[in-house]
Amino acid sequence: MRSSTVGWLFLAPTLVILFIFGVLPFLYVLVIGFTQWNSFAADPTMQYNGVENFRRLMFDDQFLYSLWLTLKFGFFAVASQILLGYLLAQLFMRDFPGKGFFRTVHTLPLVIAPIAVGATWRLLLVPGLGPVPYYLNQWFGYELNISRYIDQAFVATVVMDIWHWTPLVTLTLLAALASLPKEPFEQAQIDGANRFQIFWHVTLPLLKPAILATVFIRLMDALRTVDEVWMLTGGGPGAATRYIGLHIWRVVFPKTDYGYGAAMSLITLYLTIVMCWLLYAGLVARRDLKRAE
Amino acid sequence: MAPVTLRDVKKRYGSVQVIHGVSVDIRDGEFVVLVGPSGCGKSTLLRMIAGLEEISGGEVSIGGRVVNDKPPKDRDIAMVFQNYALYPHMNVADNMSFSLRLKGVPKAEIDQKVKRAASILALDHLLDRLPKQLSGGQRQRVAMGRAIVRDPQVFLFDEPLSNLDAKLRVQMRVEIKELHQRLKTTTIYVTHDQIEAMTMADKIVVMHDGIVEQIGAPLDLYDRPANLFVAGFIGSPSMNFVDGTLRLSGSDAAVVTADGVALPLARAPAGGANGQSVVYGIRPEHIALGDGGQRATVSVIEPTGSETQVFMRLGSSPVVGVFRERITARPDEALAIRPDPALAHVFDKVSGRRL
Ligand SMILES: Nc1ncnc2c1ncn2[C@@H]1O[C@H](COP(=O)(O)OP(=O)(O)O)[C@@H](O)[C@H]1O
Ligand SMILES: [Mg+2]
Repeated sequence: MRSSTVGWLFLAPTLVILFIFGVLPFLYVLVIGFTQWNSFAADPTMQYNGVENFRRLMFDDQFLYSLWLTLKFGFFAVASQILLGYLLAQLFMRDFPGKGFFRTVHTLPLVIAPIAVGATWRLLLVPGLGPVPYYLNQWFGYELNISRYIDQAFVATVVMDIWHWTPLVTLTLLAALASLPKEPFEQAQIDGANRFQIFWHVTLPLLKPAILATVFIRLMDALRTVDEVWMLTGGGPGAATRYIGLHIWRVVFPKTDYGYGAAMSLITLYLTIVMCWLLYAGLVARRDLKRAE
Repeated sequence: MAPVTLRDVKKRYGSVQVIHGVSVDIRDGEFVVLVGPSGCGKSTLLRMIAGLEEISGGEVSIGGRVVNDKPPKDRDIAMVFQNYALYPHMNVADNMSFSLRLKGVPKAEIDQKVKRAASILALDHLLDRLPKQLSGGQRQRVAMGRAIVRDPQVFLFDEPLSNLDAKLRVQMRVEIKELHQRLKTTTIYVTHDQIEAMTMADKIVVMHDGIVEQIGAPLDLYDRPANLFVAGFIGSPSMNFVDGTLRLSGSDAAVVTADGVALPLARAPAGGANGQSVVYGIRPEHIALGDGGQRATVSVIEPTGSETQVFMRLGSSPVVGVFRERITARPDEALAIRPDPALAHVFDKVSGRRL
């Protein structure tokens, strides 16, 4: 009795902070999501309007387009990161001269703030100023203009995300690879498997939990990227790179459509949770199988 | 099934040489045990035969074919690792059938082979289980089953029993031996346990620090160890060694210790000279009780029920005896012992070789 009171007392500061910074804002957004509230509207006061915001969202082309873009961005970025990260992790499992140095350098992007990453890439890529478009044009006659071509802008944001976050994937997969037992791999050689068969039948299944966990982390992160893209393209050209975070920001701040923006955030949160759950289910199903003794 | 030949096989890791030229001939269907203390290079040698380690020098051939540059998958061998190396994500049936599936063997044939191996090893009811859900002994069996379904030219075992408890170890020892008698596949078995070596082998290869000390049938090694290392390694409790000088006079031969204790020999050792510094060796089980021999001082007595181990001092040398009798002597009492002169061994003090 007494000990549980003491336990709650110890937890209290954390719970209070969590409540103030986590639960309250969420409840606040939840409430606003069901209101009409826009300081520029004819009636700028907050008014309850039921599920009207959500109904409108289902037919909001801009919102749906942004959502689609975000998923596309997340898919390409994370898929490339996993692929590249795995190859790099395999590279770092081997010995080669300068390995320590290369490994250190390769993780540096991780410690750079997203806003600085965005700024750096902008300085590199901005048309008329950045060295990359300049030399591409000089040497290969290729016209790189991320303010003009929507595909280039999209690819640029994906590449930036890959540059920034692949090291995280490399490190995670490297840790996972290093902790794998080596005997099943030797056994597979003796069983007559070639390199690809070993990868497919042994490495991949054994790495699956680590890969799923990494996808999980990276996807959640990619879906809420704002600052880097904001710095690099500002969401443009047009709405070509206006991912969901940017889109919500535009609705809430320049347009001050608080109610609608809140509803958007809630839908996005809901979709994210569903995706999390799907991935998580994949992970947990495996564990349950193992635990059933 | 195939013979395996090692010709002057060497292994270097960088500048460190761990195998210094090992030559062994293994006949078709023979059960050969590589035995030696930890770190002597048994696993390294076995892994070179398997193709998991590069061969730095010499030649390994399987079935008359030099395989030095062949990858493991082209050597037609099966290996059982100390920690079994089961695929953690595959159930027992999939673990056993993996190699066959890779080869593209028809499903019906795979099923039949797996069934047969499972019934030999009493794994029938476990085929759907994952390795996590098996006991150590069962995992060990799966690892063997995986080897059996392959029907390979050679079985390689690397200390397959050392993770099992003592009772299971004895049971599996018998099972492996029976399996070999049934399948008659050439088998190379690595262990550090001389009892395993003695009980299982057709032929034992005793290794020490990367060289072969002696090759022979188990009882040959026991009866005629080629040197001090083999004499001390084979047999439990191990052989007693007493330093002394060889004394030959007429047809009488004896080893005399520094304390003046004379230990008679049945015959003069071939190649032994009068006055030579030697080591006298006698197994604990070859010492009898009774007068007409030497007097030793009892230090400790360990009764085990079926027999009694007595730790004593003969002059200043410690000596262990194992007796069927129950002995009631107390520490520091004198005990009359008679080492059997016909079963005593004499080794050169300097080279350690048997005389
Ligand atoms: N990868 C390696 N690099 C350097 N030395 C090694 C390596 N593997 C084994 N050794 C050395 O080779 C010797 C023999 O090892 P091993 O064959 O495992 O012995 P055993 O199986 O008889 O206990 C040991 O001294 C060990 O330290
Ligand atoms: Mg070993």
